[in-house]
Amino acid sequence: MLESLLALGGLVLLRDSVEWEGRSLLKALVKKSALCGEQVHVLGCEVSEEEFREGFDSSINSRLVYHDLFRDPLSWSKPGKALPGGPLEALRALDKKTSSGPATIALDSLSWLLHHLPCPTLCQTLHALSRQDSCPGDSPPGEQVRVLGLLHEELHGPGPLGALSSLAQTEVTLSGTMGQASAHILYRRPRQHPTHQTQWFSILPDFSLELQVEPPLESQPRSDPHTPSVDPTTHLTFNLHLSKKEREVKDSLTLPFQFSLEKQQALLRPGLSQATSHIFYEPDAYDDLDQEDPDDDLDV
Amino acid sequence: MAAAGTCGTGTRSTGSVVAAASTNNVTSFQRRGPRASGADSGCSRLVSIAGTRPSVRNGQLLVSTGLPALDQLLGGGLAVGTVLLIEEDKYNIYSPLLFKYFLAEGIVSGHALLVASAKEDPADILQKLPAPLIDDSYKKECDEDVCSHKTESDIKMKIAWRYQLLPKMEAGPVSSSRFGHYYDISKRIPQELIETSKWHGFFLPEKISSTFNAEPCSLTSGYMKLLQFIQNIIYEEGFDGSNPQKKQKNILRIGIQNLGSPLWGDDICCTENSDTSHSLTKFLYILRGLLRSSLSACIITMPTHLIQNKAVIARVTNLSDTVVGLESFIGSEKETNPLYKDYHGLIHIRQIPRLNNLIYDISDVKDLAFKLKKKLFTIELD
Repeated sequence: MLESLLALGGLVLLRDSVEWEGRSLLKALVKKSALCGEQVHVLGCEVSEEEFREGFDSSINSRLVYHDLFRDPLSWSKPGKALPGGPLEALRALDKKTSSGPATIALDSLSWLLHHLPCPTLCQTLHALSRQDSCPGDSPPGEQVRVLGLLHEELHGPGPLGALSSLAQTEVTLSGTMGQASAHILYRRPRQHPTHQTQWFSILPDFSLELQVEPPLESQPRSDPHTPSVDPTTHLTFNLHLSKKEREVKDSLTLPFQFSLEKQQALLRPGLSQATSHIFYEPDAYDDLDQEDPDDDLDV
Repeated sequence: MAAAGTCGTGTRSTGSVVAAASTNNVTSFQRRGPRASGADSGCSRLVSIAGTRPSVRNGQLLVSTGLPALDQLLGGGLAVGTVLLIEEDKYNIYSPLLFKYFLAEGIVSGHALLVASAKEDPADILQKLPAPLIDDSYKKECDEDVCSHKTESDIKMKIAWRYQLLPKMEAGPVSSSRFGHYYDISKRIPQELIETSKWHGFFLPEKISSTFNAEPCSLTSGYMKLLQFIQNIIYEEGFDGSNPQKKQKNILRIGIQNLGSPLWGDDICCTENSDTSHSLTKFLYILRGLLRSSLSACIITMPTHLIQNKAVIARVTNLSDTVVGLESFIGSEKETNPLYKDYHGLIHIRQIPRLNNLIYDISDVKDLAFKLKKKLFTIELD
């Protein structure tokens, strides 16, 4: 699962909530990309550096480049060193640092950045981060920059969430039932239809992922998906159905304006059909059976 | 513009009437003198620019949108000087297709292009345009479909068999090459066509400066820069008649992608009540003013499903001329509805302009669905 999440490149959005936290999945992804030998930059805003590095062994820790915004976000302890931009400058500096080779950037959290930066600016900066080279769609996936963003979806309204999802190439929503976490993954490949996938997993203490089977859905009071459809033709006084024989007769019926073979034959051979039309006339007592033309005496 | 065209015919007809009368000396109408409308040879007859045609209803100059079925729904085509707004579908799969059709039609007709985007480089967008289909290969596609349709419709049409072979809302292939072409989405446009065409690109990340400064004016800086760019191009290339050159008049096709999304710097998709909520509506108003006074047509795609304030959507619809909404079935419950199983989505014509007219040009059909076949995008009756 981790490979497929990292394969597409671009922005990977991890949406978590209070019950199902996503930082462990973020750290699992960071570990995976560090093991692949890429550069990993982490912008830490919500937890301290020690807490983030906890659980990683030394080889991974040596590959992580940590940019700390947690300890001193407003740069009060370095009055001489002016960092006017704050988090925005830090993001833009990341853009310059990852210009060579494949890299992964983990943003610890996008929620913190959304609260400190206006949403359009953040979207523009993320877009600039995730499209590094001139034709991002055609370059091989290994060369791209991946941005992993952790977003706490309960902290934001539908506006910023919608805006960030429309930017993301992969969106993972964490949920679960009965102690078992699941990830609902939406892949938005650039010119293809989006695909969904749901995966049940658990994260081990050393931040590797273990896939689980979906837990059986017992005793879930679900509403009946299908109410039995009511057949409206059951209690009628007339018959709306055709039996098989009636259907055959109906299909073989020749309609009056259909130019079928029989009609064609009938038109082509007029002689045979003369016998069917007769006029039967019984003269009355007062009828004149004179065959002369009655108009003869007119002077025309 | 189109108004010049219609008054051109008017002068010609009154000229001929007066010429007839002067021989009899019956009327007192005096001809004012030689036609004072200028030295352009195109003024005394209808303006004949490649790729355009006058509307059959009111003589308005129309350009093709690149999709002949959509042209038919809009009453013949898109009027020059108007804005076509496409409301994007949720995952933005089908609206880029309409955008590309419009631009490809511009290249094939020889119009000038202006492509503006905040997401993709305009040069990349132009590389991915579909290739135009020549007439007989489209006929082959049509015949394949008719054969596959025939087998199922044979059984149904026993009484009304004369209607069996009528096409379902598809206009046949245009035999002349002047208006409305068909495109093959699976192939890219040949490189030499792009190179011979004249295009201008506006890619927002290159144009805005990297320092973040709060703009005091009411328009977002991205929109302001785009408007200035469009105005410069219109003025320099003479689409508004400002430089009366000897060369042929041409149409400028403007394409703006994803307008209103956060990548343009507009937060209308992020919050419901923002301080710069009038930025988009002002942009559309000024853009329409620029278009009305020049020979250009514009297509805009906008992610209206992301806009949080519904009043803004209503304002945007009023400020555009033609509005077409796309609703795709992906991810919605309509995907499994058997009624919609052949189609990929619905197309809603939300607004059609009333230009120089008392009535609207609405077609009778309201339930339209689209489907994307392997190579073509078709719109059919639902």
